[in-house]
Amino acid sequence: MSKQNENSMGPERHPWVSSFLEGWSIFRQNLLGKIGLTLLVMFALMALCSYIPPWISPIYDPMTGVDPDITSCSGPCLRHWLGTDFMGRDILSQLLAGARIAFMVGISAAVMSIVLGVSIGMTAGYMGRFIDTLLMRLADMIMVMPTLLVVLLLSAVFGQLNIWTIVLIIALFRWPGVSRIIRGQTLSLKQRPFIEAAKVAGASHFRIIFIHIMPNVLPLAFLFMTFRVTSAIITEAALAFLGFGDPGTVSWGMMLQWVWKTGHMFQAPYWLLPPGICISLITLSFYMLGRAMDEVLDPRLRKEDQTD
Amino acid sequence: MELRKYITKRIIQIIIIFFVILTVLFLLFRLAPGDPVSMMVDPDMTQEDAEMLIVQLGLEQPLGMQYLIYLKNFFTGHFGFSFHYGDPVVDIIWDRLPNTVLLFTTSIILSALVGVFLGKIASWHKGKKVDSIMTIGALVTHTVFLPWLALILIWIFAYKFGWFPINGMISEEVWLDPEAGFISRALDVMYHMVLPLSTLFLIHFGAYLLIMRSSMLETLKEDYILTARAKGLEEKVIRDHHAAPNAALPVVTSVGLSLAFSINGGALTETVFTWPGIGRELVSSVSQNDYPLAQACFLMIAGVVLISNLVVDVLYAYLDPRIRY
Repeated sequence: MSKQNENSMGPERHPWVSSFLEGWSIFRQNLLGKIGLTLLVMFALMALCSYIPPWISPIYDPMTGVDPDITSCSGPCLRHWLGTDFMGRDILSQLLAGARIAFMVGISAAVMSIVLGVSIGMTAGYMGRFIDTLLMRLADMIMVMPTLLVVLLLSAVFGQLNIWTIVLIIALFRWPGVSRIIRGQTLSLKQRPFIEAAKVAGASHFRIIFIHIMPNVLPLAFLFMTFRVTSAIITEAALAFLGFGDPGTVSWGMMLQWVWKTGHMFQAPYWLLPPGICISLITLSFYMLGRAMDEVLDPRLRKEDQTD
Repeated sequence: MELRKYITKRIIQIIIIFFVILTVLFLLFRLAPGDPVSMMVDPDMTQEDAEMLIVQLGLEQPLGMQYLIYLKNFFTGHFGFSFHYGDPVVDIIWDRLPNTVLLFTTSIILSALVGVFLGKIASWHKGKKVDSIMTIGALVTHTVFLPWLALILIWIFAYKFGWFPINGMISEEVWLDPEAGFISRALDVMYHMVLPLSTLFLIHFGAYLLIMRSSMLETLKEDYILTARAKGLEEKVIRDHHAAPNAALPVVTSVGLSLAFSINGGALTETVFTWPGIGRELVSSVSQNDYPLAQACFLMIAGVVLISNLVVDVLYAYLDPRIRY
């Protein structure tokens, strides 16, 4: 596919650039993808804006900010656009800080699990035999484990987990899906002549896997990344909601846990609604982005939609 | 014959996986920071009781011996005593397990059936309004944050309208009334189950709908559908008897793959609705540092996931003859 593009786009463009441009032009025609991307840009702006409120005044600090005039949960007003929580902290600035945490958790956990999944998948597919069986049985086993409950159990044993430990555990339990797909891809790539050529030229296994096979499986890995981001965000939010999140961070799940545990959910819709809507929307937008990318990468799906 | 061989193979695999989980749990709780005695023996127990329990669990023995005792205890049903309840863990587990199984299986079966049905309709009206509404609806309900959806449902239907109970699984007056028969008790449980079941259903059916829809569209391109059309069969017959059964196979696979995800959702739902199930027990035992109960709950949940996986696999093999040969 990339060879064809090289011919049509002229030789000065790197094949990755041209296939990216081609993908982008398909992506732009996709409604779901556009909505998803727009929503994500909005959330990214929210995350950036999270630095503004504490900078205006310390009473807007999402964690420690307390308004001297308000000491309990109160509705929206001019000073606090979305109201305040049970300690008089500003809900809007918590919401903005939550966007930052969501991106942080989602993207770092996704990157880690993709790196793991791709490396393991390629190794299993390329090495075959015993290593393949071992790694894939391990993948099967991890796949049936409910990640949220695993993190819960680990926090029972090791006590309060901080946000990076949570991210790490999510990543460690979320690679098998990716590695299976990458393994399948590697199995078919392994039969191609260029791998044979590399072998004859004396390339090491390590070099073949990471220099020759990896560029060919990466696009597929990127597709999985969006789905991994959503599952990481949901897992962290659910954990925080159950009361096992990092107490030093303000995430959307944490906000919901406060509403729920302080018994304000029936009295304070301005507090209950925003964090839930944000978690759901960010999940939805990554999901839509993923589906759109799916169509960019899989010509079969694309054709089906264009016949409409 | 082939089917039996396939099932035997899967059962052996599942037993191996369960053993590994059992072993990892053992190591996790014995090698964790803090000594194992404080992890397995209630600090509030009397001296003699504690010593008896230490001997029963083999906590004074070397690690290898402890592992053998641990396995023996597992097969004879000795999980120690819950710190919080003071009762044997195994009793608590047996009390909660049926409730989880009831909620979990009903929600999965219901959402898969409805998902398949609606997905079939959506694919049949591809590109029309019905299809768009269903696809968007499925996307939205599938990505809603589960605990939040549960809170919203409670807020609207239990608090504002007062149609359903806010939480719990039974009303005490019905269960304490000796006159009440089986039917009125069953109805009472069903009445309490409406909201938790709706939560799980709304979260899950969307995924199955989307899978069924795209799989149906693939299937309709097959040659045998063309043959059926050429034979002059009614469209409804083609849809329901020729295309749908084959198209539903990927849904069965996806039910199997998403079991772990569903059980997470189940635990969250049980917690929000205070449904007395294993998932909720796991959450509360973790927050109360009730290690023996947490360990046993996790083991049971892993068992539930593995067994449901087996059921799904067998169902798939039964539905798709190709897998047997």
